[in-house]
Amino acid sequence: MKGTMLIAVCAIAAGSVAATFAAQEGRGGGRGRGGAQVRLDGPVPHYPDGTVDLGGAWTGGGPVQDMEVQGKFKPGEIPLLPSAKKLMESRTPEDDPHAYCMPMGVPRQAGNYPWRFVQYPTHTKATHIFVLWEGNIHSFRQIFMDGMHPRDPDPTWFGHSIGKWEGGTLVIDTVGFNDKFWFDRRGHPHTEQLHTIERWTRKDFGHLDNQVTIDDPGAYSRPFTTTYTATLQPGEEIMEYICNENNNYGVAGGFR
Amino acid sequence: MSATIRILAVAFGLFGLGAPVVAHHAFSSEYDEAKVVTLKGTVTKIEWTNPHARFFIDVVNPDKTVTNWSFELASPNSLTREGWDRHTLTVGDAISASGFAAKSGKNMASTRTVTTAEGKALFGGTQGIQ
Repeated sequence: MKGTMLIAVCAIAAGSVAATFAAQEGRGGGRGRGGAQVRLDGPVPHYPDGTVDLGGAWTGGGPVQDMEVQGKFKPGEIPLLPSAKKLMESRTPEDDPHAYCMPMGVPRQAGNYPWRFVQYPTHTKATHIFVLWEGNIHSFRQIFMDGMHPRDPDPTWFGHSIGKWEGGTLVIDTVGFNDKFWFDRRGHPHTEQLHTIERWTRKDFGHLDNQVTIDDPGAYSRPFTTTYTATLQPGEEIMEYICNENNNYGVAGGFR
Repeated sequence: MSATIRILAVAFGLFGLGAPVVAHHAFSSEYDEAKVVTLKGTVTKIEWTNPHARFFIDVVNPDKTVTNWSFELASPNSLTREGWDRHTLTVGDAISASGFAAKSGKNMASTRTVTTAEGKALFGGTQGIQ
């Protein structure tokens, strides 16, 4: 009898945990393949403490092919310095570091490969927010929500990011970039002086705006700002994508 | 939606065709949009690996010699989302494949569509014109 009761209690407890988990996953938009039907124009979800829940599998939210076109700039409106213009004109798509499975940097995204914001912890104000990318490449980025930039950060692909909430908008300030990635396949360049400010606002359940300001006095004569919108992919999950596993053909393999 | 239904949907043009998948490299640097090849052959190998899946077919030439062609597909991830799986093509399958030929002149192409022995047309997930 006692054994039966114990099993029953465990079963109820397990069911409760599972139901909570499913609800959270449903709220974030992803319940795996064949997941919940959601309304993309539904309300913005929040954590219990009131923080916006940025969960879900997203695509888009940054340039891929051409920052000028996708950022809705007029031709020539992006204020390239002559040196940056010359560098860009020397670039061809075959040289894109992305084709060699190198990271995208900021604010580039990877077409139809989903990515996630992961807020940690969720029961109180997050100290860290991570961006997990499926591709390209299968990588991550971390945003320190309770930190400051180091005085002299080593130049890296994703730089050093600190974040804060301004109302429902996650503001990410990043410095310490290397100059190796391209903003897009067209080859918009930058230098190690790059400073980006992203303002991520979940407009409704299924749309997440990224208003990004690019400030790089080494490559552009003034800061410039545009907005890209990421779209939720309900029921979608991040899959493994190891770009360099078989990148032996085409440009990376010398066209063998 | 099951994989089978999605593949059928692709075959009927409800998904996929006309919806280019962004490759991790520049399509135009490797393939010629103006040079479409359509070949019938027997599958000799499948590489279900990132960043691009790939299959190889033996094509019998008019002079009875055999040429092995390599067809690049989208990534396994993109293909999975289009309804493919790693068993969609198997070694020994007699298929027809259409794609854009490599600029290098080698026996390579970026797959547009694959028609299986059963007559199902599958979108290859390549970038193509955009």
